[in-house]
Amino acid sequence: MIINEKLINLQVNDRTKEAIIQELAKMACEEGRIGDVDAYVKAVLKREDEYSTAVGFGVAIPHGKTNAVKEPFLVFAKVQSVEWNALDGEPVDLVFMIGVPEESAGSLHLKILASISRKLMKEEFREGLRQSKTPEEIMKLLKSSDLGI
Amino acid sequence: MKILAVTACPTGIAHTYMAAEALEAAAKKKGYEIKVETRGSVGVENELSDKDIKEADAIILACDTAVPMERFYGKKLVNVSVSEALKGSDQLIEKALKASVFTKSNLVDDVSDLKEQRSSGRKGFYKHLMNGVSFMIPFVVAGGIAIALSFLIGGYNGFEVEGSIAAFLMGIGGGGGAFGLMVPILAGYIAYSIADRPGLAPGMIGGAVAMQLNSGFLGGLVAGFLAGYVVVLIKKYIKLPKSLQGIMPVLVIPVLGSLIVGLLFFYIIGTPVGAINTAMNNYLTTMSGSNAIVLGLVLGLMMAADMGGPINKAAYAFATGTLVVGSGTMVMAAVMAAGMVPPLGLALATVLFKNKFDLYEREAGKAAWVLGASFITEGAIPFAAADPIRVIPSIMVGSAITGALSMAFKATLAVPHGGLFVFFAIENLVGYIIAILAGTVVSAVMLGFLKKKVEA
Repeated sequence: MIINEKLINLQVNDRTKEAIIQELAKMACEEGRIGDVDAYVKAVLKREDEYSTAVGFGVAIPHGKTNAVKEPFLVFAKVQSVEWNALDGEPVDLVFMIGVPEESAGSLHLKILASISRKLMKEEFREGLRQSKTPEEIMKLLKSSDLGI
Repeated sequence: MKILAVTACPTGIAHTYMAAEALEAAAKKKGYEIKVETRGSVGVENELSDKDIKEADAIILACDTAVPMERFYGKKLVNVSVSEALKGSDQLIEKALKASVFTKSNLVDDVSDLKEQRSSGRKGFYKHLMNGVSFMIPFVVAGGIAIALSFLIGGYNGFEVEGSIAAFLMGIGGGGGAFGLMVPILAGYIAYSIADRPGLAPGMIGGAVAMQLNSGFLGGLVAGFLAGYVVVLIKKYIKLPKSLQGIMPVLVIPVLGSLIVGLLFFYIIGTPVGAINTAMNNYLTTMSGSNAIVLGLVLGLMMAADMGGPINKAAYAFATGTLVVGSGTMVMAAVMAAGMVPPLGLALATVLFKNKFDLYEREAGKAAWVLGASFITEGAIPFAAADPIRVIPSIMVGSAITGALSMAFKATLAVPHGGLFVFFAIENLVGYIIAILAGTVVSAVMLGFLKKKVEA
């Protein structure tokens, strides 16, 4: 599974993107998805420097493709209106953090990430995420969204 | 409306797909058909087919990585970063529909870059000569056209009527005006090229002296080079004390330089150069029959051989020189006609033999019509560069035929540049046009036979 309840955190209190990325990376590490947290965070922040992954509509998708990642994963978090240099200038409240190993075997998880990315562009999907109160509800929404999860 | 898009981002995980989604949604809202090729880490998905591209009205590239572009030649295309598509996919679609057509690059721009490169790469004698010629040409064009207009309005003797418009036009263009300045400007700017600013005055004055001695264009060349090197020597050997150095450029060089050049001309050089010049002009004006045709043939070969390079410019400078006598010459007419043929022949070939040219060349063919009609021989270079062994002989043969026919028809021209736009200044225009058409068709047909089919 690319995501499970333990990779969902609906109450992250950090107020900067660096702290948020660090926090979410720790979660992924505890689940055994990341070997080297520092290396992963470094890769993600480097990607952020190229240009912000806050794509608008309150959504950010920080991601890193690095061998610090042991197994592909997706972390979902709700945050409190964080400034993220978004393309539309609005603060971010939904974060999908993605980790993929450099040489990823099989492309199934990549396809899932691609379809989530597409899905995030849709208003109803984002509203559904915002309405969900528990990790279980989020999982239910993801599973019912025809993403292959 | 059918829109195609390609999205790609460096990691290929998220933005590629989000941009695709955004573009699809925006197009759907407008009621346009859209297909988006995604190049993410999954690989290429939903790849655009040749048929898609053929049917498309516009292409959007929202990519931060390199993607294959050749397939979009000849299509309206915008190329932006992937974040642009996320920010404003609506505007992006509108922008694409208004975009300019994508070609490898633009022929007209290519040609002007090429001309620049060539002129900066010139060296020595040739560089100095071309500097003089390029400064002289506007004077010849203005003068030649004014004279042609005088003839057009008042007939051949019209300018003799005092106070008439024909007389005024002749005053502007003729020996008292623009044509009188031709040789001094030529000589002055050859000297300028050799010796910088201080060369200008001795050069122009030397040119004016050469005119008085009837040594024409040839005399101007000699005066320009002489003045240039005389000034270089003065600068090298005459050393004034520091306090007096300020008078070098304003007093010593102009006076001494002009006196040396002028007196050399009057006492020694002027007479032989004048004699050669007169003999040459007499020969050219009385030349007829097979001699004239052979000259036209040779000039035609030269004009096409290197398309604006030294060989072409040598023929061209020679032709411009013949204009100094103040009336149209057959040589000038033949040279311009032959210089127009290479781009025209290629343009025609791209229409007649579509399968022998790639898409870029067929697009470039359209621009080549204009370049040819404007007498910019360089317009043929991109084609020749791609396939020199087949292209250069074809255009040389076409230009040679045109040059020879133009001489045979005794067409004359008093203006050194302008192509189609100075056709009103041509004597025997019908013959002239036949000459150009003949060479163009021969070049195009030869290209059709020689060139190989291009893989589609």
